[in-house]
Amino acid sequence: MKIAAACLFALVFASAAMASGVHVQLQDDAGHPVSDAVVFLESPEAARLVKPLVGAQVAQEHKQFVPQVSVVTRGTEVSFPNHDKVRHQVYSFSPAKKFELKLYAGTPANPVLFDQTGVVVLGCNIHDSMVGWVLVVDTPYFGSSRAGEVRLDNVPPGTYHLRTWHAGLPVGAPALDQALVVPAEGVAQAAVRLSGLTP
Amino acid sequence: MRLRVRHGATSLITRLVGTSLLLLLLVQLAGFFVVRSSIEANARREVTRELDVAQNVWARTLAQNAEKLRDGATLLAADYGFRSALNSGDQDTVESVLDNHGARIGATVTAFLGTDFRVRTASMAEGSAAPAADQLAELTAQLSRKPQASVLAVIQGVPHQFVMVPMKAPLTIGWVLMGFPLTQALAEEMRLLLSVNLVLLTGPVGQQQLAVSTLGKGVPADLLAQLQHDEFSLDGGLVLVRHVPMDSLGGPVETVLLRSAEEVVAPYRHLQWLLAGITLGGVLLFALGSGLAARRITLPLRDLVAATLRLAQGRYEQPMQHLQRRDEIGNLARAFDHMRVDIARQQAEVRRLAYWDRLTGLPNREQFRSTLEAAIRAGRADGRPVAVITLDLDRFKHVNDVLGYAFGDRLLQAVAERLQRLVTQEGEQVARRGGNEFALLLPGHDAAQALAFTQRVARTFEEPLAFDDQTVDLSAGMGVACWPQHADEADLLLSRAEIAMYAAKRRLSGALLYDPAFDSASTQTLSLLTELRRAVERDELRLYLQPKVHLRTGRVVAAEALVRWQHPQRGLLPPIEFIPFAEQTGFVRQLTLWIFEAAVRWLAGPRPAPADLRVSINLSTRDLLDPDLSNRLGRLLQAQGLAAGQFCLEITESAIMDDPLRAEATLNRLSAQGFKLSIDDFGTGYSSLAYLKRLPVDELKIDKSFVLGMENDEDDAKIVRSTIDLAHNLGLSVVAEGVENQDLLVRLAQLDCDEAQGYHLSRPLPAPAFADWLEARRLATAAVS
Repeated sequence: MKIAAACLFALVFASAAMASGVHVQLQDDAGHPVSDAVVFLESPEAARLVKPLVGAQVAQEHKQFVPQVSVVTRGTEVSFPNHDKVRHQVYSFSPAKKFELKLYAGTPANPVLFDQTGVVVLGCNIHDSMVGWVLVVDTPYFGSSRAGEVRLDNVPPGTYHLRTWHAGLPVGAPALDQALVVPAEGVAQAAVRLSGLTP
Repeated sequence: MRLRVRHGATSLITRLVGTSLLLLLLVQLAGFFVVRSSIEANARREVTRELDVAQNVWARTLAQNAEKLRDGATLLAADYGFRSALNSGDQDTVESVLDNHGARIGATVTAFLGTDFRVRTASMAEGSAAPAADQLAELTAQLSRKPQASVLAVIQGVPHQFVMVPMKAPLTIGWVLMGFPLTQALAEEMRLLLSVNLVLLTGPVGQQQLAVSTLGKGVPADLLAQLQHDEFSLDGGLVLVRHVPMDSLGGPVETVLLRSAEEVVAPYRHLQWLLAGITLGGVLLFALGSGLAARRITLPLRDLVAATLRLAQGRYEQPMQHLQRRDEIGNLARAFDHMRVDIARQQAEVRRLAYWDRLTGLPNREQFRSTLEAAIRAGRADGRPVAVITLDLDRFKHVNDVLGYAFGDRLLQAVAERLQRLVTQEGEQVARRGGNEFALLLPGHDAAQALAFTQRVARTFEEPLAFDDQTVDLSAGMGVACWPQHADEADLLLSRAEIAMYAAKRRLSGALLYDPAFDSASTQTLSLLTELRRAVERDELRLYLQPKVHLRTGRVVAAEALVRWQHPQRGLLPPIEFIPFAEQTGFVRQLTLWIFEAAVRWLAGPRPAPADLRVSINLSTRDLLDPDLSNRLGRLLQAQGLAAGQFCLEITESAIMDDPLRAEATLNRLSAQGFKLSIDDFGTGYSSLAYLKRLPVDELKIDKSFVLGMENDEDDAKIVRSTIDLAHNLGLSVVAEGVENQDLLVRLAQLDCDEAQGYHLSRPLPAPAFADWLEARRLATAAVS
């Protein structure tokens, strides 16, 4: 099995003393900026700081998951309210979380607990076209890119794994991983090239 | 003839019908063979085309089958239970679900592959052949390059179709590979659909094995070997074979399509049989039709032939058949019928001309002869006699000459009418035999009755005929002959009646019954002419002389030259036995010349007569008609140096009257030549004195019948006397013949007759004896004086 390796170029700059954030630029093979990519920073310290999110939900509207890509911290319980008139049967065969919500309307009584990190692909057994992702991370520092840029603030200085994931990456592929040092002050600049994305 | 006619008609039908049939059959045969070869070629083309179609359909069937399998697999892959079982992570569960769900859609090989196409789990149906791992890897590698395709692979000798479908949850999380064996059912479907047998062979050439076959279970080995060829013969029928190699893994696969040409040809065969049937029927109908048509021609032709045969036999009464037909046969029949009527009419006309006399309407000579023959035949049967009367009108030629032929014709018609009136009994017949001759047939009459009949005829003629102020006395010479008394057959009977008739005419006796005396030499007449010629050549004729004595002086002044025939067998023949015959045949001219020459020689001979002795020669009618007569006589005289004046030529009245003009011319010439001329038998004819006066005649010779009659009949004496006076008044001398006694001699002398001739003076003497007689008489006279 071959997996397209991402070329990683980390440019670390010593930023101003006041700075305590991370700025990541994301490009695809053609150099275009990539949106909707999830960027998160992992470190043992960060893992210790993780708390479950409250009130996280993935709704179903117009036979689509909303939001299509959700990022939650480990231990978060996510509810799946159904705003459609038709019923849905949401399931996941992903190793990070296998579950099945039997055919339902409205909001199911019990939310689903995501207690392992990883990518969980959501599907609906009734509507094969519905796809959604829940990315379970073990860090409080994460964000989604807009127009090829992500800015994470209030990141304590230290050494991190800069992980980048996108729904267009091959199924089951792990998030890109590159080292990032966050200085005590200033903004750490990082650039990520995502190759082999399916549109 | 009949047989030949029938044969000809039959062969005409045979030829007409046979030729047409033969041509028809040839055309049909040619058509048959063309159709046959065309069917064969067509069948090959058709089968080839069908095999093309079958090949395409087979390819399409496989593709559709793959499609179907794929659809089934896709559905299966989307099954939630299947998906959740596969994602359970438990190896046994995964294997059993592959087994279970694969079996649901008939897959014998089911495998689950990761998104990287590595085989995670593989399952084989129970009893199925398991593919080797490397084979699976090859399969998936091929399918991963073209996930929508299907791959053919041989798994332990069985061809399988493999398809691969993604497993989605909802994104593709892996692949499901499924293999399906190619089944008999698929091949059977082909067979049912296209009537094409299908055989799937696996393995390399030479070791091929039968995987699927629609040919039945027990395919013999030799058939397997046959499949290698492009065509072979199966149960007498042609089978075309199409080999379709197929892309496959795990060993070659070949599809063999077989199509029997027989099935394609069968409808044509049927058509051909139908065509043959139609041909046969057509030929039969044609034969029947043309046979009937030919019969419609040949049968009437046969009838017409039969009809012409009837015509040939002279049967004209039956009209032709088929006259109503409006075609050519009808035309022919009408033409024949027209011919039949015409021929019948002409035949009747010919018959009329042949058997009837046109002028008088009486039967003619021919008819009379055949009627006579019939009467004689009848007489032979019943023993009754048959009498024939022949009749010859007197002086008819004279009537014709003087009063014209039209008058003559009317006279003949009148005579015919009168004769016809006499004939009343059954079987009696009057006929005109030509010229002025008539004949009467009287069956059942004997001689006496026939003679009595002649009296009735004579009475009928007593009344003179009068036309246009002309009155003509009728008289005729009649001869009677009777069967079987006088002759035993028709011709002889007729000729004997004729002889009697001529005798009657000569004797002016009206009617005479045949007497063999009239005709004593009749049996020899046929050879008489030849004998006469020979008589002249062999010098059998003898010159006789009968003296004429001058009554006043008693001197022998003249002699009549006569002829006798010294016949080698029959002795000396009198003139009556051959002169009439010679007159009939014309030989009389030679006789006249012979007599003349003999007389000339005698006169010029060694024992000369008195210098002034005149010799009389008789001339016949034929002599008078001979224009060369005077020259001939002249030459004979010249030869002996004698003068014509020493000769007197005696001519009978009747001889002159036969053709008065020519006779007159001849007589004038002879007279001018110096000959003396004498009228013989004067008084028996009808010559007028006025006519006689014109002729250069020197002498009259009174017929002996008058002279002989003088003794008893005063009338005859008067005739003799007045004739003598008349002659003397005209300046002619008179000779009396038939002087048989002294009294007559004396009386004639008293009547002043000039000369006398007769037995009393002397019989005719042979020329040598005449000289002796002269001498004796001279001596006697001298003694007296």
